Amino acid sequence: MAETKARKPKRPASAQGTNLKKVYGLLAIILVVGIAWIGISVANRGGAVATAPVPLTGMDDMKTLLQQAQGVTSGNPEATAQVLIFSDFTCPACKQFAQGIEPSLRTEFIDPGKARFVYYDFPLGGVTQQHKWGFVAARAARCAGDQGKYWEFHDVLFARQIEWSYQKDTPVREFVEYARLVAADAGVFEACLRSDKFADIVTANRQLGVQLGVGSTPTVFIGGRPVAGWNDYNEIKAAVLRELGEEPAK
Amino acid sequence: MTAAEMTGDANAQNVASPALNRMGMALFSLIGVLIAAYMSLYKLGVIQTLACGTGACEVVQESPWADFLGIPVPFWGVGGYGLLLAASLAGMQPGRNGDRRIAAVLFGSATIAFVFSGYLSWIEATRILAWCRWCIGSAVVASALFLLSLPEIGRLRGGRG
Repeated sequence: MAETKARKPKRPASAQGTNLKKVYGLLAIILVVGIAWIGISVANRGGAVATAPVPLTGMDDMKTLLQQAQGVTSGNPEATAQVLIFSDFTCPACKQFAQGIEPSLRTEFIDPGKARFVYYDFPLGGVTQQHKWGFVAARAARCAGDQGKYWEFHDVLFARQIEWSYQKDTPVREFVEYARLVAADAGVFEACLRSDKFADIVTANRQLGVQLGVGSTPTVFIGGRPVAGWNDYNEIKAAVLRELGEEPAK
Repeated sequence: MTAAEMTGDANAQNVASPALNRMGMALFSLIGVLIAAYMSLYKLGVIQTLACGTGACEVVQESPWADFLGIPVPFWGVGGYGLLLAASLAGMQPGRNGDRRIAAVLFGSATIAFVFSGYLSWIEATRILAWCRWCIGSAVVASALFLLSLPEIGRLRGGRG
C-alpha cells in the first residue's frame, strides 16, 4: 500500500494550472451573478410605485366621480351622523386631528354606533418635500386595508409622520416596516405598494375634495357642511349632536 | 484535497501547487463579500427593501445590534471578507503555499469571522428574536471559511515565514 502511494505520480503542473483556471472561472461566475443580483435590487428602488395621481376620465361629472371615489369608513353604516374628513398623511394638522380629535370622536360617537366616520384621501402633493409622499402614503394605507389593517396603519403613518414624509426616496422601506408593525403580511403589502393599485381611487378622492371646495387639510364635513373649527372638539361634537337631533349642552 | 494539504505539512507539499483549501476560501470569501455588499447597500439606502423570505431582515438591520463599534455590521463584513478574499487569492499563487504570513491572516481572519458571526447569531436568537436569511447565509459562509482555514495551522507551524 505504502509502495503504491510512493509510486503515485505528482500532479503535473498543467493540472494545477487547470485547477486554478477552474477556480478563477467559478469566482468570475459568482461575481457576475452577485453583481447582477445587486444591480437588479438597486434598479428596483422605488420600483413601479405609483406616487402621483393618475389620469381618469369623467372627473368633471359628479355622478361618475362619486362612483369612483371611495372613502374608508368606520362605525355604524346606519348611523344618522356622518363625519367626513379630507386628509393627507403628510399634513401635520391632519396628524393633530387624528391624534387629538379623532380618539374622542371615536369614543363618544363612532364606537357606540351614533356616528359614521369616513376618511377621504386628499394628498396635497405639490413641489414641496413635505407633501411629496402623501399620495403613496394614501395608497399604502389602502394596501394595509386590503388586509384589514387600514386604521392601524393610519395611526402608525401619523405617529411616524416625520420619519417618512421627508425621505428623499419613496418611503417603501418605512411603509413595509409599518406593515409588519401592524401585523400585515409584508410581502403581500409590498406587492400592492409596488404597483398602481388604488391610484385611481386616491386620485378620485382628491378630485371629489376639489369639487366639494376642499382647499386645505384637514377639511371636516358633518351633515354635508364643512366645520370651520376642526381643531376644536367642542365644535365637532356640537355639529354631530345637531345631526343626531340633540342639543349640545351649554 | 491531499493529506499533506489537509494537515498543512508544507514540507510534504509541492510548494508550487496551489492549496485547495485556499481555493475554497476564495470562493466562500467572494460569496461573503457579495452578501455583505448587498446588506451595506441596504444600510446606505441604495437598496430599498431586502429580499427576505422570513421577513425579519429589516428588523435585524434596524436593531440596536446592527452597528458594531459605531460602524454598521455589514461594513465590517465587506472589510473582513474582502481581506480573506485578497489573502486567499494571494495564497493561491505559485510558491505561496508555505507563506506563514498568509496562513496567519487566513486563519486569524476566519476565526474572528466565525466567532463574530456566532455572536451575531446568538444575538438574533436571544435578543432580537428575529432571523435574517442573509445573516444566516453569512454565518454559514464564516463557518465554512473557518473549517477551510484549519489546514493553515499546519502551515503556521511548519511553513516558511
